[in-house]
Amino acid sequence: MSRVRLPAIMALLLGSAMVRADIAVVTHDASHAVHLSRHQVINIFMGRYRQLPDGGLALPIDLVGLKDRFYRALVDRDLAEINALRARQVFSGQGSPPYQADAPEEVAALVLQNPGALGYVDAAGVTPDQQIVFMLHE
Amino acid sequence: MAHLIELFRTRLALRTAAIILLMVALLGAGFLVLAVEIRADSEQRAQYTRIEELLSTVERTTQIACFLGDRELAGEVADGLLVNRIVREVRIIRQTGDVLADARSEQGRTGPAISRAVYSPFEQAQPLCRIALIPDQQRIDDAVFEASRFLAVALLLQLAGVGLCVVLVVVHFVTRPITGISHRLSRLEAETGHKLQAPRGNQHDEIGQLVASVNAMIDHLVSSLSEERRLRLEREVEERRYRTIFDSVEAGIFELDGEGRIVVANPAFRRLFRLAEECDPVRRRVALTELAGDGGPSIEELVHHSEPGRARQWELALGSGTLRRWISILLNRLEEGRLQGVAHDITERKMATDAAERLAITDPLTGLGNRLGMERRLAVIARHHRLYPERPHALVVLDFDHFKHVNDTWGHQAGDRVLEHVAALLTTLVGQRDYLARQGGDEFVMVLEGQGQRDQVAALLARFIELLADPIELDEEVRIRMGASIGVAILGLDTEDVQEALHFADQAMYRAKRAGRNNWRFHQTTSELSG
Repeated sequence: MSRVRLPAIMALLLGSAMVRADIAVVTHDASHAVHLSRHQVINIFMGRYRQLPDGGLALPIDLVGLKDRFYRALVDRDLAEINALRARQVFSGQGSPPYQADAPEEVAALVLQNPGALGYVDAAGVTPDQQIVFMLHE
Repeated sequence: MAHLIELFRTRLALRTAAIILLMVALLGAGFLVLAVEIRADSEQRAQYTRIEELLSTVERTTQIACFLGDRELAGEVADGLLVNRIVREVRIIRQTGDVLADARSEQGRTGPAISRAVYSPFEQAQPLCRIALIPDQQRIDDAVFEASRFLAVALLLQLAGVGLCVVLVVVHFVTRPITGISHRLSRLEAETGHKLQAPRGNQHDEIGQLVASVNAMIDHLVSSLSEERRLRLEREVEERRYRTIFDSVEAGIFELDGEGRIVVANPAFRRLFRLAEECDPVRRRVALTELAGDGGPSIEELVHHSEPGRARQWELALGSGTLRRWISILLNRLEEGRLQGVAHDITERKMATDAAERLAITDPLTGLGNRLGMERRLAVIARHHRLYPERPHALVVLDFDHFKHVNDTWGHQAGDRVLEHVAALLTTLVGQRDYLARQGGDEFVMVLEGQGQRDQVAALLARFIELLADPIELDEEVRIRMGASIGVAILGLDTEDVQEALHFADQAMYRAKRAGRNNWRFHQTTSELSG
């Protein structure tokens, strides 16, 4: 499967090379989580914890277009591995994978609506009603 | 068991093989222990490597299980590991002490645990759990034992093979040739000059050398045996020769033991000593002194006659009267406590010597002593007087008066007749120990031994003069009457010197002649004469 996907990924990487920028992990500005560490981000996105540091329920959101880059930058894994891990998590009933958003707008909407929502967008596309809790440098 | 020991004692090959096997076994045991040790060590290491590999295989899954705290997944990992039979127990424990999985099998023995930290799959430096794997020591030991047993069996087979080979080699190259030689040697007739043959193929090796040595020894023995035989024959001839001489020689040959008793005696010796035929000196030892009597060697002389090579001679008389025989014995020391003697009958020689001796000192006319006899007698008296000076002896010198006239008138035969007569008279007068001699012509000398009494001498002389007064019948017509002048000196009273005493007696005789003949005078000193 990875072999089939490889040209697409390469194309994607090459295509986005020009527009490469940092990825910002954002949340609702009302959220108490003013700032998260990389460790906390990994734990939340990889399904280890469901809670935010303030005790609220965390709701991670994957952005389909940015997902590949995000995980590469965060844990240096390709998407196949991430998916395999998610599949195992689901299988053992340990929890559910992050919500899959198709566009940054959807992420923005979800973040706006849910105080515990945690999404990631291109750093350039952060809206004022979003609060950056972690900046992921590529 | 005894049979086995007997076999070992009598079979070189078995003994050699046993010793070699023992040595190989000892060495083998040493090597085996070493090999097992090394093998066990490497096997142990291999097992642990395997366990490490197992841990590496399940690492990723374990990381995820730890990351997620997924007990089900952790349990899955542990169960998967337990499928391996060398794994006895698997424990996955989080950093917090929370046990994620603990699976174990009931069989086997616990070995030392192998534990490893499990890190987060996403953050390299973030340890999440520890996974501890406890191996089944029984299983590992079994594997080690299996490997060792193979080694042992291989070594044992090798040992048996070596032993068999050694037995075969020793039997073929050593035992059989030696047995062959032994058989041939026992059948060998060495005296006929037969030689021992070396087994084929062994001519140039040590067995060949052995055979050569045996042959050399046989040669040596045969030659020394024949030499011995030749010597024995020679000795027998020698012995027979000696025996013949011993039996037939005229001289008596005998041997004495340390105490002077006869050990061996030849027939001549028996004849000499008149030994009875049935008297066996070997069975009943007869002492030589017993046979020899006076004049023979004493027991002390025999016992102490111990200088080898020096002969000693004795002359002894046997029997008495006309049967008296003289025997000379010559003794030589053969060795300690053994004397060899030769005995000769010297009776005839002795008698001849004695006769010659007597003749030399005898006056042939009268049978009395002559001048030589007188001198010898005087020498004896002088010696005696020196030893016993208190014992006096009388010396008497007689000279007939007018004897020359008898010779001149009636001839020498008449003179001789007179001398014979006077000699006979004197002989009847003197004692056994006294000595009479005719000095020559008509002069006689008497030695009266132990006589110092002048009156007794005077009595004797008076008797003589009286007897002499009887006329001597020369033939039917002629009868003559003789007179004598006599001088006496006493040795021990008049002088201490024999010759001087004779001289004094002579002087006294001349004084008697001057005093008118036919009387006697004692010696007187000059002062006595003048007084």
